[in-house]
Amino acid sequence: MTIKKFINTVFMTEILKGMALTFRSMLTPAITRQYPKVKRSAAAGFRGEHAFVRDPETGREKCIGCGLCGAVCPSQCIHIYTSEDPETHKKIVDRYEIELLRCVYCAFCVEACPVGAISLTENYEYADYSREALYMTKEKLLANWDKFMAGKKGEEYFKKFWHPQANDFAAYAGQAVFNHKPKVEGK
Amino acid sequence: MGEIEEKDIDQGKKLGTQELTLSMGPQHPATHGVLRLVLELDGETVTKCTPYVGYLHRGVEKLGENKTYFSALPLTDRLDYISSMSNNVAYVVAVERLFGIEAPERAKYLRTIMSEMTRISSHIIWLGTHALDIGAMTVFLYSFREREWLLDLFEQACGARLTVSYPRIGGVRNDVSKEWLDSLYRFTQEFPARVDEYETLIDQNRIWLQRTKGIGVISAEEAINWGLTGGTLRGSGVNYDVRKAFPYDAYDKVEFEVPLGSAGDVYDRYRVRMGELRQANRIIKQCIEQMPDGPVLAPDAPKFILPAKENLFKNMESLIHHFVLLTKGPLTAPAGEIYSAAEVPKGELGFYIVSDGTGKPYRMRVRAPSFIHASVLPRLCEGGLVADVIANIGTIDIVLGECDR
Ligand code: SF4
Ligand code: SF4
Repeated sequence: MTIKKFINTVFMTEILKGMALTFRSMLTPAITRQYPKVKRSAAAGFRGEHAFVRDPETGREKCIGCGLCGAVCPSQCIHIYTSEDPETHKKIVDRYEIELLRCVYCAFCVEACPVGAISLTENYEYADYSREALYMTKEKLLANWDKFMAGKKGEEYFKKFWHPQANDFAAYAGQAVFNHKPKVEGK
Repeated sequence: MGEIEEKDIDQGKKLGTQELTLSMGPQHPATHGVLRLVLELDGETVTKCTPYVGYLHRGVEKLGENKTYFSALPLTDRLDYISSMSNNVAYVVAVERLFGIEAPERAKYLRTIMSEMTRISSHIIWLGTHALDIGAMTVFLYSFREREWLLDLFEQACGARLTVSYPRIGGVRNDVSKEWLDSLYRFTQEFPARVDEYETLIDQNRIWLQRTKGIGVISAEEAINWGLTGGTLRGSGVNYDVRKAFPYDAYDKVEFEVPLGSAGDVYDRYRVRMGELRQANRIIKQCIEQMPDGPVLAPDAPKFILPAKENLFKNMESLIHHFVLLTKGPLTAPAGEIYSAAEVPKGELGFYIVSDGTGKPYRMRVRAPSFIHASVLPRLCEGGLVADVIANIGTIDIVLGECDR
């Protein structure tokens, strides 16, 4: 046994080193949050509760009842009921319902919609005691839009997060590449 | 007290010892999910260990047959739910190979970055919980600090923290921003120091060494015969890594080493995974530096990729592709079969897909490393002490969502 090993064994240097580290960490600022009191805002483009886009021109939903969102939904939780207008022979969306309890928040419905009629919002606090509260109807979805996505925000989100493919088929100005060394600092 | 009488001693001699059957789990916190082990104990020694799996069975393989290639992606998130990004990548790479399409360079680099971020976040969860099971609590708290940073980055990149569904067949969902890349680069600069911190806490710690050295030993030959992969295999010194052997995405363009152990015990597997943390960090850094600009979805495969929304009502062809892809799946998919594997944090995750030329897979089989690793538990536990069962469950790094599928 070398002297170094002997000293290590007797004085437990490795444990002391670990203790020193935990002591140093005690002096750094806490990184935890006291959740219900201190709320964390989700990043832009977070895939939370759904909303129905309110068309600024008609004031109604944009949905044309094509059923694509329901077809692509991996958990089959979108139910669309349509009928035909007897005079104009246009399709009317009578009921549009999403079972949030089955939804997996993949945003495929948003990607599928050809007219951009549905979106997700950054609201992640939708827990409730009843099943009814988590069964979205057309009215509730439209109310969500007014609450979370109204104004310019919705439009921007569609460009940036929900339908970004147009940009992605080619290089574009301002694309993020590595060309500088950022300074080392905290996050 | 009176004297012990002769007849009492005779009585004692007649009492036999009996083996104790202990059901461990499925709700035991150290079984990393819902694994149930039935242990037969002779005193403190385990004489027989039988794992029972299937509590989390959701029929992912069967579900995959009833969904289009596009809609089946979120299913793979839920295999090994703490490394969903790598599972997605494994799946889309398999489907791309089946269809014969290529993702653009930039998308390949992005997917490599994401896979390695997942490797870090999965390994630090593994490290934290493994150390917690063995009795070192602090590592768990520190490792979750770094994981939070990575999950925040996932959230900014794709809008979800855990079940990401970010890669797409033929590329990725969306591009990343400059701020995102900068934040990740800062992470790669800081992270090696954090790994040093974890090592300061347990690497030489005498309790840790006693609980891990010489426990759960498996030789290289045996490890291969059991079908182990990933860190569990490399801890025995077998140099096999899918990223090196069958490179996918950008792995052939970056330099990294494959850390190897030698003794094949719990401690060596721990060393291997710590080495992988550093290597993953190195890969991310190189990827950021090399990443080219350009598209992130293959522009030359319109029959397999959703068209840009702007073209939908201008271009009849795009509209047709859009509707067919979403409702029926890619009807031009070539018939055939493929086995394609990727190195996920747990080991080799393989997808065996049989296509009959319709828009849905005829058969989708998942080769889940966790399932195979769980099968080696009796081999590791039998003959050992009951306290080491926990160390053995931790060291094979299983997640039951993937094991039961
Ligand atoms: S987010 Fe996904 S699971 Fe939820 S409704 Fe839309 S398509 Fe279905
Ligand atoms: S929300 Fe969009 S995809 Fe769904 S039915 Fe309406 S228009 Fe079609």
